[in-house]
Amino acid sequence: MSRFYLYGITRPREVPERLREQGIFLIDREGRAAVVSELDEGPVEATRRNLLAHADVVEQLHEESVVLPARFGYILESDDEVLELLALPEVEQLLERHERTCELTLKGTYEESVLAEVGAALNPLRDAYRAAPSVEAGIALGEAVGEGLAERRARDQALVLDKLRPLVLDVLTSEPAGEFAAFNAALLVERNGVEAVETQLEQLAARMSPPLHFKLVGPLPPYSFVRLQMPAVA
Amino acid sequence: MAVVQRESSAGYITRAPRSSGLADVLEILLDRGLVIDAYVRVSLVGIELLTVDLRVVIASVDTYLRFAEAVNRLDLRAVDDSKSVPDLFEKGGEEVAETKTKGAVEGGMDAIKEKIGLGGGGDDDDDEDDGNSRSRSRSRSGNR
Repeated sequence: MSRFYLYGITRPREVPERLREQGIFLIDREGRAAVVSELDEGPVEATRRNLLAHADVVEQLHEESVVLPARFGYILESDDEVLELLALPEVEQLLERHERTCELTLKGTYEESVLAEVGAALNPLRDAYRAAPSVEAGIALGEAVGEGLAERRARDQALVLDKLRPLVLDVLTSEPAGEFAAFNAALLVERNGVEAVETQLEQLAARMSPPLHFKLVGPLPPYSFVRLQMPAVA
Repeated sequence: MAVVQRESSAGYITRAPRSSGLADVLEILLDRGLVIDAYVRVSLVGIELLTVDLRVVIASVDTYLRFAEAVNRLDLRAVDDSKSVPDLFEKGGEEVAETKTKGAVEGGMDAIKEKIGLGGGGDDDDDEDDGNSRSRSRSRSGNR
């Protein structure tokens, strides 16, 4: 009996040759199709190579039409399990909801000069540190800088999302990683709405950069908006 | 005037059509995506190796001391004319006092390196650089 690694769910269609050569194929049922490859015994290793391959498969298929990308690591133990999954009404609802959507991930990062702006309000602490650069004075100053940076971050995130919200279907923010990270947001956008986001971002950059830098990735499959538990959208 | 502004703002936006770095992919594939526990099995090894140290939070004494040192080093008066740094840069940035432009220059370089896939921004965000395409040829398969 075959085991399958699951990349995602899409509509039945032709798989591009490049993916077919990698052993990627579809299992169909009533207008829905699982994107899979056959798998030998054993678990899937979460290697860089496997993760990038998974992303590559769903992103390439998404260029043509809807793909609900699976979280990394799902294995279906038989054809029956695949068909059972495809029969879920939630799967059909998600496919309909994302027929013409894509995800853009937006990351904001500061360059170091943000510290000068944040620190401008902290002259007494900085002077004290300069006069006597002890660990205590350093921590006092650094903590104040950290607080100032947190406020700055919250303010900038709010400003950016306020401007983008009218252009997107949904937003999901997450904790940014890194000392100079400003914000992380996943934006659900109509496929033909990407350009409007880019234009708005240029206006935001004209206003907020430096010290803020933006990184916009996409159009991606709607990775952040495919929760099966999520109530169906009419 | 508006055109100039547009050009200078574009330098602060890094645009990628697809996720490339391992950091991008990790967040997306391990945190997001279709979750279908009831019907399929998760069968994985090696996640713990990848997720360690993914998040860096500002909470350590070490961070505070570095912030303090940076604020001490950066010329705070630069704030007043920080908006003009890109303009100065265009007119020959090397003539501008080093302390004032350091941040902008480095940031610009990082963005450029990222764009052409060289990575190497350096600091604390190594995960990001780590995943650029050149890394794929590098052998990192010790745990295979």
